[in-house]
Amino acid sequence: MTQKPTAGTIKGEAIKAGLAGTAAGIPKRTGNPVADYRALPGIADEMVDAQGNVRPVWQHLVSAIGRMDEAELANRFARADRYLRDAGVFYRAYGTKENSERSWPLSHIPVLIAEREWEELSLGLIQRADLLERIAADIYGPNTLVNEGFLPPALVAGNTEFLRPMVGVQPADGNFLHFVSFEIGRGPDGNWWVLADRTEAPSGAGFALENRVATTRAFSDIYAETHVHRLARFFVAFRDALQMRKRSPDDRIAVLTPGLANETYFEHAYIARYLGFMLLEGEDLTVVDGRVMVRTVAGLKPIGILWRRLDSSFADPLELDQRSHIGTPGLLAALRAGTVSIVNALGSGILETRAFLAFMPTICHHLLGEDLLLPSIATWWCGQKPEREQVARNIEKMVIGPAYSTRPFFDDNGRSVLGSSMRENAKLSIRDWLANDGQKLVGQEVVTLSTTPAWVDGKLTPRPMSLRVYLARTRNGWQVMPGGFARISSGADAAAIAMQAGGSAADVWIVSDRPVERTTLLTSDETFIRTMPGSLPSRAADNLFWLGRYIERSEGALRILRAWHGRFAENANSEMPLLKDVSEYLKVLDIDSAQPVPDSLVANIDSALYSASNIRDRFSADGWLALNDLSKTVRKFRATVEAGDDATHAMTILLRKLAGFAGLVHENMYRFTGWRFLSIGRYLERGMHMTRLLGHMSGRDAPDGALDMLLEIGDSVMTHRRRYNVNTAPLTVTDLLALDPLNPRSILYQLNEIRAEVEQLPNAYQNGQMSPFYREAVRLHSGLAVMTPEGMTSEVYEHLEKEMERFSDILAQTYLS
Amino acid sequence: MLYDISLKITYSYEIPVSGGRHIVRVLPLSLPSRQRLVAGTVTCTPVPEERTDMLDFFQNPSTSILFRKLHDELIIHMKARVQLEAAMPTADFSPDLAAFPAEIGAVWSLDPGSPHHFLATSPRLAEDPTIAAYARGMVKPGMTVREIAGLMCERIYKDFTYDPKATSVDSTPIEAFRLKKGVCQDFAHIMIVALRALGIPAGYVSGFLRTLPPPGKERLEGADAMHAWVRVWCGKMLGWVELDPTNNVPAGTDHIVVGHGRDYSDVAPVIGVLKSYGSHKTDQAVDVVPVS
Repeated sequence: MTQKPTAGTIKGEAIKAGLAGTAAGIPKRTGNPVADYRALPGIADEMVDAQGNVRPVWQHLVSAIGRMDEAELANRFARADRYLRDAGVFYRAYGTKENSERSWPLSHIPVLIAEREWEELSLGLIQRADLLERIAADIYGPNTLVNEGFLPPALVAGNTEFLRPMVGVQPADGNFLHFVSFEIGRGPDGNWWVLADRTEAPSGAGFALENRVATTRAFSDIYAETHVHRLARFFVAFRDALQMRKRSPDDRIAVLTPGLANETYFEHAYIARYLGFMLLEGEDLTVVDGRVMVRTVAGLKPIGILWRRLDSSFADPLELDQRSHIGTPGLLAALRAGTVSIVNALGSGILETRAFLAFMPTICHHLLGEDLLLPSIATWWCGQKPEREQVARNIEKMVIGPAYSTRPFFDDNGRSVLGSSMRENAKLSIRDWLANDGQKLVGQEVVTLSTTPAWVDGKLTPRPMSLRVYLARTRNGWQVMPGGFARISSGADAAAIAMQAGGSAADVWIVSDRPVERTTLLTSDETFIRTMPGSLPSRAADNLFWLGRYIERSEGALRILRAWHGRFAENANSEMPLLKDVSEYLKVLDIDSAQPVPDSLVANIDSALYSASNIRDRFSADGWLALNDLSKTVRKFRATVEAGDDATHAMTILLRKLAGFAGLVHENMYRFTGWRFLSIGRYLERGMHMTRLLGHMSGRDAPDGALDMLLEIGDSVMTHRRRYNVNTAPLTVTDLLALDPLNPRSILYQLNEIRAEVEQLPNAYQNGQMSPFYREAVRLHSGLAVMTPEGMTSEVYEHLEKEMERFSDILAQTYLS
Repeated sequence: MLYDISLKITYSYEIPVSGGRHIVRVLPLSLPSRQRLVAGTVTCTPVPEERTDMLDFFQNPSTSILFRKLHDELIIHMKARVQLEAAMPTADFSPDLAAFPAEIGAVWSLDPGSPHHFLATSPRLAEDPTIAAYARGMVKPGMTVREIAGLMCERIYKDFTYDPKATSVDSTPIEAFRLKKGVCQDFAHIMIVALRALGIPAGYVSGFLRTLPPPGKERLEGADAMHAWVRVWCGKMLGWVELDPTNNVPAGTDHIVVGHGRDYSDVAPVIGVLKSYGSHKTDQAVDVVPVS
């Protein structure tokens, strides 16, 4: 039950030795950056053949690069990098402190593969996807593979990816797998091998898209002249297939993400936005009468299909991992009721088990009656004696690793060891080790991966690579993405392929002899229908509302601080009554005026950024970058800025950046429910800010200069001069900042806007009558609208502020929970 | 033996809750030539808005309930009449440890009773080198699997002290092992980890134990509690053998089986998820009344 060993494999060390020999002695720069490129001895290379000739598909790209000088190449690479930066592409690094987003490590030289070779490879990939589907159906169904001796029961029963509650649960649409990925590599003989199957929640397809866009920025001319297959068609086909699978037109399709902390959250948001699906987390969902529903601001709405990006075992804390805080209780009940499809089915991860590779050829014969077209890396499960012996005898050529691991051996955090690297005395006990722990171990033949050119130190350098390829189930069966995601090792050693180990990623071009069809999802759409945006998930509304509040809170603080420092710059005396008074006021808001850039201001902007990061699928990249820029700038200022003039200037810059973000949102955000929550958040916070300020500073006992400062904070100096033919007086300031319906800084203006936005919210009217919440908004507005300046006492302001706080609570209860 | 069993679990919430979803596993099993559920019901107060009864993977009856309305108390009440049969005494047909892996390997099945489910780690039971060493220290050459299991049951009974205050429902086996104290759940968990370390399939059994009142006293209502013991797969011939390390006895007609699992997490009487802003109190009352 094992696979034929391959001929001519070379151990990991050989690669290192080989490269060290090649790299030495080559000058750092020659006239032609490609001329010195040599394949490593005994290792296949993507760009050149064994004789050193550039392969036909590469010739155009290589000769073009050969004609470029270093400056031009640097320019081109910079274009690609700038795109990735501007698009906000990042991944999250493990093990470092929270929120460490790394910029995307693009290897700028794409990997080129001829269409004909790709088509042959695709046949093998499709067969394998079919086979995995059949295995999943058997493991979670009749179990014939185990009962008839094709799959050892221990590999299933002892596997944490085997989810017992899923046994006997038929997928609603009949299929366990809809979107799979394979990690493949090319051996020294030029043939492709499957290194690992990815069936649980394959990541990287979205990054493949971004790699494509970035790489074409660098080589737009060459890309246009080369017949490269486009990627969009693949995604369109998959999206259409999911749409077709919906049982009801009301059903929604959503990408289910573990959330912000996940290393590929960016991709989840990107894919959701690209395909027009909702991006949801487990807590957005609830199960009612066996149906999965999303909590939206318009109530519960049915979900028909979940494209799952979180691990199966976290999906339902009631029946799966009870420690999960990111799941949806009752999800399994909905699956049993057959009302929701999950892509891929919960428990599909078992197919990734490394030891399964050993049994694929025989299972393929048994289930499909065919030879396995695409071999897996030679694997022996040590739970069986003959296989154990085989591994022990050939230990020099083996890598020993965990049988249940779902990662390829070169990417499993060092849990696999090279047989040849074991010390002599350790080797004596290898047989004991294998005999004692055999069930938990596999031996795999060390396979040398092919190399592909990477740009290192001013020249093309061969680097080991593996390819991640994607298959989607469409109306016409499995479709292979024409391209993928090449993972390039950071060194000569294949073990450095993982991005966490500093590896990089490259685009993959499938090159045709003929012109290819062009589809891009971003500009045209075969099935064009104008649809209104779907219902807004409550959690997204909550984040938008708070984003609005934090942004406005920051602005309010900035305006007061700027006015404070402006006066401080003139007097250099923080003990003067007005400054002292304002400092007291700020203290209540947790703002320390002794700090030129107070910590709480930084915290506010961070809170805004955090709220925004939770809803990245709803944001333009520009808005996101503007907010990031604001956060970086305020940190920089905190370290350098001094009180007085310097701080006034800094606050002005921050206000301008804040206005920049607000402007981007204002100009670009679609005027729908999400926008309304953001706006209500801003209006409410601004209203509360002004109410509090007026209550504190417009009284008769306010210190000298308080009214002018109020006008300055309220950005109404000019208007006041124009409107009132007198000096600032409590009544005129109150009239302008509290009660003027045309002044965009006045309290009444905010309440008026809130009322108008609330009227547009879902369920503002129920059975033709105002909803209780809308009634609150009207009451709040009318209460102030009938006031006169004389009546605005500090008690009235205090009461009004409390009313606004209460309004915020009611809003949360009505729409956000 | 015929028993009438009653179990009442009461949750009192400090602040009323809603939206709670629970899975309840409290109804005794029917097991051929071991016990028969003559009649049994599970009722909840308040009446749940949704309720589904089903068998889980290990064939335990489980009830899924959902509450949408606010409530400050939840009572789960199980009543059952169960007929227990005394086991026929059998000779020890179990193999020794050397021959055992081949016997396990010959079981090409993933049925709920297959030994393969009970060999690897499970959600609550990780491998532990200390407990493994404890287990290995008991084995003498030539001992059968049944003998090892019996000895281990006795050793745990002797080496550990019953102390309900020492551990909690969330304690790990190694915590209890270090304390040398615990309750039935801890002893069962330790014994399972120890047996698995030797390559012997072992599972968790939850249930009820008929307790005899102290001499001269009346049986007190509600004095009984839910109990836990271990079942050990002793080879093809002998199959599953139930042992109770808390009392150092094979489980017999005093042990009424409610659930089979790999560890406590598979058979916890109530698993629940709810949003709550306050604390809650739980009370459990068990009555096991022999009818004849």
